[in-house]
Amino acid sequence: MTSRTVLMNIIRFVFLLFFQVLILNHINLSGYINPFLYIYFILLLPFSTPKWFLLISSFILGMGIDFFTNTPGLNAASCVMMAFARPFTITIISSGPESLIGDTPSLKNQGFKWFLYYSIILILIHHSTLFYLEIFRVTEFFSTLLRVLLSSAFTLLLVMVSEYLFYPKEK
Amino acid sequence: MRNLFLFFRKHYFYFLFLLLEVLSLFLFFSYNEFQGSTLYSLSNSMTGSVNAMFNNISEYFSLRKTNKVLIEELAKLHSRLPEAYYKADTNSYYIHDTLVKLEYTYISAKVISNSTNKRNNFLMINKGQIHGIQNHMGVIIGNKIVGQVVSVSRHFSWVMSMLNKDSRISGKFKKNNQLVNVEWNGGNYRKGQVKEIPKHIVIKEGDTIITSGNSDIFPEGILIGTMSDFTIAKDENFNYGRLLFSTDFNSIGYVEVVVDLMRKEKEELKNSFKTQ
Repeated sequence: MTSRTVLMNIIRFVFLLFFQVLILNHINLSGYINPFLYIYFILLLPFSTPKWFLLISSFILGMGIDFFTNTPGLNAASCVMMAFARPFTITIISSGPESLIGDTPSLKNQGFKWFLYYSIILILIHHSTLFYLEIFRVTEFFSTLLRVLLSSAFTLLLVMVSEYLFYPKEK
Repeated sequence: MRNLFLFFRKHYFYFLFLLLEVLSLFLFFSYNEFQGSTLYSLSNSMTGSVNAMFNNISEYFSLRKTNKVLIEELAKLHSRLPEAYYKADTNSYYIHDTLVKLEYTYISAKVISNSTNKRNNFLMINKGQIHGIQNHMGVIIGNKIVGQVVSVSRHFSWVMSMLNKDSRISGKFKKNNQLVNVEWNGGNYRKGQVKEIPKHIVIKEGDTIITSGNSDIFPEGILIGTMSDFTIAKDENFNYGRLLFSTDFNSIGYVEVVVDLMRKEKEELKNSFKTQ
């Protein structure tokens, strides 16, 4: 890991935290859709990140969001869950060592299909934990499921758009 | 011992995960106990000032709307001025009125953070303990319901919005004073649930529902909403329906906190009965 990667990740951490708190948390489409782009940070941590650092940094990121939304533990629990699932997800969807080119998971290095599966799985894990924990009621199971699916789709869209915006494919 | 140590080292990822997850869940589920703690008020005053700063900017975008609300309020107040009344007698006297006594006063406050997109929504307002705000005070906008204060720091208050799974407001039909309960089931932030409507009441679309004044939080007659649709339940004892909130929770700029001057007396009365 070069010092440039470290710096990039710190900047990304701070930027996504404030972008989420100040702008995305105010977005509300038809009462169901609420994007959580801040988990893009966890998606983009380098492959060589030590596993303990993966968990700890996700925990701190989640707590940071919770600090502003006054829901201590809610986002932290979802982020830790997602970070825990990340190494397993990578193992499952990678066919061989050749798919782990480059240090950072990206659309450019791993290809569209790999990155799409990778994002979908992790976003779904994060969003389901978050929404079901927030409600904690069995009676609203299906309306919550709808919220999970719609919000996940919207977050996925934002992740993909950012991927094309900030890391465009070389021609 | 060495083996145990090696075991922990080998599987540290799982243990660290469990540790962090349990820690987060502990924080989450003991959230209510934390509300009064120093950690909570520290985070409240820190994030409060960041939110206030951001609100300073976003405030400009709603100036037109704020102006409109202010002008409407001004017109209402103008019509209450002595000059607005027809004077039958040119002399005026000061009468010390013992029949009427002030029961409610209102503290105006600015909303610095608000949400409608979560299952449990809260607002933060820029008035706190030093302005005289206490827990369980009602919050209204104009003559419409907003929520109730659930936590107070020195300069800010945390208000549980009507759009929260723990909000349950005692309301009544304006036309016949029949009591009902109003809740919010998530989803559309304009629609609320009306529960426990007695069977014998004839409900019509557009019936107005106001606060009942039974709860010590809101005075009587604050607007909650109008009935939009309802179901006549066959097997249950009560009918239920949905209402359209009078408040547009997504565009709340300034609110008023209801101070019940006689609350202490009411509580003492209740407690004296309990201790007997």
